[in-house]
Amino acid sequence: MKTILKTIRENIFTPWGLWLAFLGIFLLAALIAGITVFWKGLVITNLTDLVPWGLWITIDLSSIAVAAGAFSLCAIVYLFGFKRYEPLARTATFIGFTGYSMAMMALLLDIGRPERFWKSFVFWNTHSLLWEVTMCVGLYFTVLLLEVMPIVASFEWLRTKFPKIAEKMEHMHHYAPVLAIFGLALSSLHQSSLGAVYGVIKARPIWYRPEMSVMFMFTAILGGVALTLLVSMLAARLTPKAKVNDMLIERAAQVLGYMMIAYLYWRFWDWLAQTYTYEPGRTEGFELLTKGPLSFNFWFGEMIFGALIPTIILLKRSLRQTPLWRMLAFAMIVGGVVAFRFDTNIVGFLAVIPYTPGEMVVQYTSYTPSLVEWTAGLGIIAFGLLAFSIGVKYLRVVDHRLVSEEHEVVTVNIGEAVTGD
Amino acid sequence: MAQNKFNRRDFIKLSAVGVAVAAGAKFLTKEVKASEGAKGEHQWVMVIDQSKCTGCNQCQMACNANNDINPDMNWTKVLNVGEMNGKQVYLPRPCMQCEHAPCVEVCPVGASYYRDDGIVMMDYDKCIGCRYCMVACPYDARSFNWEKFEGENPYVPQYGEPEVERRPRGVPEKCSFCYQRIDRGMELGLVPGEDPAATPACVVACPTGARIFGDLNDPNSRVSQVLRENPSYRLRENLGTNPRVYYLPVDENAIVEG
Repeated sequence: MKTILKTIRENIFTPWGLWLAFLGIFLLAALIAGITVFWKGLVITNLTDLVPWGLWITIDLSSIAVAAGAFSLCAIVYLFGFKRYEPLARTATFIGFTGYSMAMMALLLDIGRPERFWKSFVFWNTHSLLWEVTMCVGLYFTVLLLEVMPIVASFEWLRTKFPKIAEKMEHMHHYAPVLAIFGLALSSLHQSSLGAVYGVIKARPIWYRPEMSVMFMFTAILGGVALTLLVSMLAARLTPKAKVNDMLIERAAQVLGYMMIAYLYWRFWDWLAQTYTYEPGRTEGFELLTKGPLSFNFWFGEMIFGALIPTIILLKRSLRQTPLWRMLAFAMIVGGVVAFRFDTNIVGFLAVIPYTPGEMVVQYTSYTPSLVEWTAGLGIIAFGLLAFSIGVKYLRVVDHRLVSEEHEVVTVNIGEAVTGD
Repeated sequence: MAQNKFNRRDFIKLSAVGVAVAAGAKFLTKEVKASEGAKGEHQWVMVIDQSKCTGCNQCQMACNANNDINPDMNWTKVLNVGEMNGKQVYLPRPCMQCEHAPCVEVCPVGASYYRDDGIVMMDYDKCIGCRYCMVACPYDARSFNWEKFEGENPYVPQYGEPEVERRPRGVPEKCSFCYQRIDRGMELGLVPGEDPAATPACVVACPTGARIFGDLNDPNSRVSQVLRENPSYRLRENLGTNPRVYYLPVDENAIVEG
């Protein structure tokens, strides 16, 4: 006990110690908030029958979205053969694993009967999109667990204490291409289905459109890749433990810039189609976004800072080559994806569509997350930051000098079935 | 690769085994056929005559007592929807027991399901509390148990005695057409819609007879007759949910699609 205290006293005033203490405060507060939620129930949130999904769902959706770098980059590296991005795939895989852990924490808090979460794996309504999402997330988490094993194997302590186990875990890396296939399939399914969870709800016209699934998928890839690049650069600036190849990141940044153009194009037509004619509920919902209480989120969070400005930065060579501008662009893209998730979820609830005949007057409700929702939510984010920091410090999660063991890249010829062999 | 004890081929074999196990699990778990709908002998429907509804709320109070509902919640709600020829017009709204119920379609665990007689039921033991059904319901017919309902029910015993168990914290609940009264009544040989003991509590409680209940499969039932002889409408028919609650409008000209 004394030695532990001594170690703490010696290390607390280092930047690492202060960072841990800072995150620790949020984690401790969240722990208390979480226990309170399990004890008192969801009544202490500001969720209502009219707004049954709020901040936690946003955190859940956003963590899954920004974890999408894992499957995107693994597919790029191990399936499409862009080997030079392999160090980024390592970072993305770790972020992915962290992101899905965060999502599961948020979900566990959010469901009314957390002790029965396992029932979602036992009882199947295959018609439900949420069933499909549950299954894919469960399976993909398993894939991530396997993918993250070689990374955990680089933990010094594990290597010295249990070299055999570390070796076995390291060996998992041989299956990276196979895992990438599973990852791509499962992620493509559930990332888009998460959009469809909203997109199939006929009762809420602002959601009810086919492009919801495609937009969720696309924004997930954008946000996931942007976050991977952002935290790689950030880590490299903050600690000597992280080493990045700036050329690599810059090249990826340019690709991301072009993808942002595609995204803006998509959003423009989505916007035009939705606003062109009056549709009860949809038009009112859209006005909440463009003129109402969500307008700041929409215009600044999603559009100007979330899409337009980062696109310009990433496509203008001089700005892109300046690390600070580039990092800013990545951060704005991630923020834009989170804002998109938040707005999409909440706008469907705020405009209450009437069911009374002849009366098409749309009513409005409001939602502000309660203190306990914020505390628990911030704690989940703090957990993510902690996990990533530990990864950088002990697991060489961001290390572009790492050249991993050689393995085959799956080559797919047209007309040939994909097998992992 | 050759010296590895566990090579990629083995891994694929293992994956195949995994898929087989998952498929096996699928046969073992009871799957809910969400979109099949009900094809039972009886098809229960409710008809609500808006000309007769005075907005007295007796139906809601009887419902809260018989189903032991938290007084902060309602399974049936009486809305004041305006004025016609100097008379207030009300719209009582129970669960619509849709033929194509969005809540049943979206429930990931199949906790919402169709009975053969068309009633949309909740399995409160299966429910994990995700609230997707509440998100999907076009009629706002579901209430969530944000906290446990403890203490006395203010409507008991004046408006009735509890006939079903209180729901636990963390699940949404909704009107069930008083399935417990229908089932018990039929066991005793009673006819739902005619014998009060076999009829939903709200129908029995209505002092003006604005609510009518019965079997749409029986051409001689009162609901069948009333629906044959009068113009009626249902709520948000454009969504294609096919509700089992029909409304007789105050004035024929008042039929407007929701």
